[in-house]
Amino acid sequence: MLKRGVLYRTGIILLLQAIWLFCALSARADDAVVRADILRLAHDDPAVRREAVMALAKTGDQRLEDFLESYRMGSIYIWKGRPVLCERTIMDEEMNELAPLSDPLTRRPLMNNGRQVVVPVAELTGISPTRRERRLAGRAKFLLRLSSPDAAMRLSGAKKAGDPPGIVEAVELLRELSENDPDRKVRYTARESLLLLRLNERTAGPEAEDRLAVVRELGEMKSMRALPRLRELLREITGKDHGAEGFAARPLRTARGLVRSHGAPAADSAEQVYRRAIRQIEIHQGFVDYFGSIFQGFSLGSILILMALGLAITFGLMGVINMAHGELMMIGAYTTFEIQRLAGHTPDNPSDWYYMLALPAAFLSSALVGYLIEVLVVRHLYRRPVESLLATWGVGLILIQLVRLRYGDNIGVNAPSWARGGIEVMQDIVLPYGRCFIIVLCAFCVLLIYYLMKRTGLGLRMRATMQNRDMAASLGVNTGRVDRYTFAFGSGIAGIAGYAWTLIGGVTPDMGQTNFIVDSFLVVVTGGVGELLGVIFSGLGIGVLTKVLEPATIGSFTVGAIWAKVLLLLVIVTFIQFKPAGLFAPRGRLADE
Amino acid sequence: MFKTERSSVVKAVTRLLPVIALSLALVFAGRANAAEKVKIGVLHSLSGTMAISETSLRDVVLMAVEEINASGGVLGRQIEPVVVDPASNWPLFAEKAKELITKEKVAVTFGCWTSVSRKSVLPVFEQYNALLFYPVQYEGEEQSLNVFYTGATPNQQLIPAAKYMMDELGMKKFYLLGTDYVFPRTANKVLKAYLKSRGVPDENIIEEYTPFHHQDYQTIVARIKKFGASGDACVLSTINGDSNVPFYKEFANQGLTADDIPIMAFSVAEDELRAMDVPPLVGHLAAWNYFQSIDTPENRKFVKNFKEYCKRNNLPGGYNRVTDDPIEAAYFGVYVWKAAVEKAGSFDVDKVRQAVYGLEFDAPGGRKKMHENNQHTLKPVYIGEIMKNGQFRIIYKTKGLVSPEPYSRYLHPDGNIPAPTGGPKKK
Repeated sequence: MLKRGVLYRTGIILLLQAIWLFCALSARADDAVVRADILRLAHDDPAVRREAVMALAKTGDQRLEDFLESYRMGSIYIWKGRPVLCERTIMDEEMNELAPLSDPLTRRPLMNNGRQVVVPVAELTGISPTRRERRLAGRAKFLLRLSSPDAAMRLSGAKKAGDPPGIVEAVELLRELSENDPDRKVRYTARESLLLLRLNERTAGPEAEDRLAVVRELGEMKSMRALPRLRELLREITGKDHGAEGFAARPLRTARGLVRSHGAPAADSAEQVYRRAIRQIEIHQGFVDYFGSIFQGFSLGSILILMALGLAITFGLMGVINMAHGELMMIGAYTTFEIQRLAGHTPDNPSDWYYMLALPAAFLSSALVGYLIEVLVVRHLYRRPVESLLATWGVGLILIQLVRLRYGDNIGVNAPSWARGGIEVMQDIVLPYGRCFIIVLCAFCVLLIYYLMKRTGLGLRMRATMQNRDMAASLGVNTGRVDRYTFAFGSGIAGIAGYAWTLIGGVTPDMGQTNFIVDSFLVVVTGGVGELLGVIFSGLGIGVLTKVLEPATIGSFTVGAIWAKVLLLLVIVTFIQFKPAGLFAPRGRLADE
Repeated sequence: MFKTERSSVVKAVTRLLPVIALSLALVFAGRANAAEKVKIGVLHSLSGTMAISETSLRDVVLMAVEEINASGGVLGRQIEPVVVDPASNWPLFAEKAKELITKEKVAVTFGCWTSVSRKSVLPVFEQYNALLFYPVQYEGEEQSLNVFYTGATPNQQLIPAAKYMMDELGMKKFYLLGTDYVFPRTANKVLKAYLKSRGVPDENIIEEYTPFHHQDYQTIVARIKKFGASGDACVLSTINGDSNVPFYKEFANQGLTADDIPIMAFSVAEDELRAMDVPPLVGHLAAWNYFQSIDTPENRKFVKNFKEYCKRNNLPGGYNRVTDDPIEAAYFGVYVWKAAVEKAGSFDVDKVRQAVYGLEFDAPGGRKKMHENNQHTLKPVYIGEIMKNGQFRIIYKTKGLVSPEPYSRYLHPDGNIPAPTGGPKKK
């Protein structure tokens, strides 16, 4: 038995070695061709040089991506009739400039008797590309990517091939990809780029029939990338300057009306073909914008809710104006950082589980700090709201400075690898994973709080204490302890908000004051102090309203981030004037006062 | 009543007399001792919003002072740095500057980061004819004889970067995105004038601003994506401070890469990258006059010394600290002042000023020169690409030094520029 196992193993090893040898040999055969092409980069005739760049790109040898980059930077030289790589020179004791050499393809040092070959700079002939060749090499890099085994690389190559000025040499490969690539997105992009290249051909006028076919297909594909070019060509045909707004404002009916007045729709004029394609793409774009705004609004809303939930408990239910709320979030964020550090998570060496561990850790550390604040400061100030405002603000400043002394100002939380990027739910609509996660987390926290408040004994005692402290106390509720737990719980939720924030934003000691505290109060006050449901509605409302206002245009003026904020505050101030109690009428301790 | 009160005052004074005499003696003794040392002011925010950037400049100035003191001081006198904290509070900058000049009697001050803080202290320095070394790249449109600007002027950073985008990367559409304050607004004015002079039509330029600490870049990134769908657009970013983190994260998360739409940043350096999640930024660009990755023995030594200085003094970050453009500019500023003092043979502001003009010196990033007749520095321009380790790969460098133009020729095409302000008191 044992012997047979050994035999098998030897057989497999031999087989693997044979495969490896075969690959090595074939690679070496390729190498000769590639190296010959590299030498042609130093040719006197610019036409030969350019041909050589493209020939290299067409080999599909992925090692050439780095090579082309070095070539662009002027780090490739010829030494004794062979190409070499030298990224930097060194000086010897007599101040002679020396060049350590490496292989331009493998990028490994050239060895001689176990030491890297170092020659005087005078022995090297530089291959320094002209600007035109540098740009060509930049494009050749993307041509090379078309034959990469990595789908993301192929996608990037396919996209760049169609972008202006276009890589005409890529047509064959693009056609191949558009039909046979396993990845749907690559197929789509390759097809799109092919059409864009054909759209840009200068051989026929913009009204030639095969060109119109391209336009029709781009319209069918709803290609956003084609839109600027199509508008340009339409301008060429009509000789008039419509501008982007002109089309957006023009109703669809105009195009149809034109068709009808001409009779048979089959004999569309070139102008109509262009208009229809542009219209198709614009409708799609409008839909993408609309859906995008809604998602962005929900995402911003979920973040606002998460930030405000903790405050809705400490301020809304307990009536403590807790100015250190933002700092409790900051502590959650720094706990996440500390867990990341302990787990040794770096982008190169990810240990993604740290992020799951950081969730309870952020909750507990913020809850602990909140508990201490309650015991040491807030407890003594329940009947004096103004003093509690000042005291908690001071506590916040102390926390900021403590964290600054410990960590300095610059730290970075690296998102776990599963929270990078996004999912393309529909053509051109990408939902970032990180934001989706925060929406789910927000829903989870809301349900958790709801369950705790309405379905547990602790929640019952909390509500009793908040509604009528003396009555609850006389019924045997330890109101002091309930206060401490409630405050700690609200603080813990703030910690979770800080933890979630690390996925989309930065972490600094004063993040609570600069980013969170004002927005949190805004949400709680608008929603109605003392009512959790109000927080959810006002958070989502403010989020969606901001995201609808921000991209809005009035004539040629875009509202933008600054005016959106101004308008939003105006809306809220007006709203509070008419409904001072917020969206939902308050209950709890504040209502009694 | 009156008499007793008076006598009690007299009694108190007589009783206190020995104490007063003693303290006066101590003060004079201190003076005599201090005469051997020369005081310099360090005016950087150590708390508040700007602490994130300015703390590093204080550290490097103190390091330069330590080095100079170890090698015998200036004109044989040891330097005593006086560090104050203006706490990112612009009016407080002016108060602290006044305190440094009138109370501490410093020979020179190194400080400020934001333009608004510099504008706040400028009248103070001009009133007392004192000297400030300002180490950060800024928007220009200013020239005071009481300030030496060791950072870049617009033509030493903005214009070469825009030129690179057009000529090397073939970009045709430009999204100018910035934080809403004086540097981005003026920078974008210069950029726009330059782009127009190169024939870029209006519809290919978008200018947009966000408030300080803006955190939600979803809408803007969506707009950039639409703007850049045609594949020949780039972003020229003057976003400042903590807003950069959510911006780059959102950019990457919506599926955009540096190959689709490259971002050229003017306010993101190695020190800011420490606070960021770097993978989303890889491949994006920045334009500066110095990078930590400049590969010369002098720079390697400087980087090592700074890291060791931070570790030795238990500063947060320790050996993981990095150097960047403003840190280099703050560091060589101290040496420029030292060289000028030695050339002038005096600490007198007017003599030192004259000695600075045309001074050539070795900075960590290579040999540089102060301008012959304006207050700025001749520097090389580098363009770097962000790498995975938070450092920059230098992909472009100007040949030689670029001469500073505090008043951009694109904003003053007729060449009429105001005369410098401040300087020696007119009698």
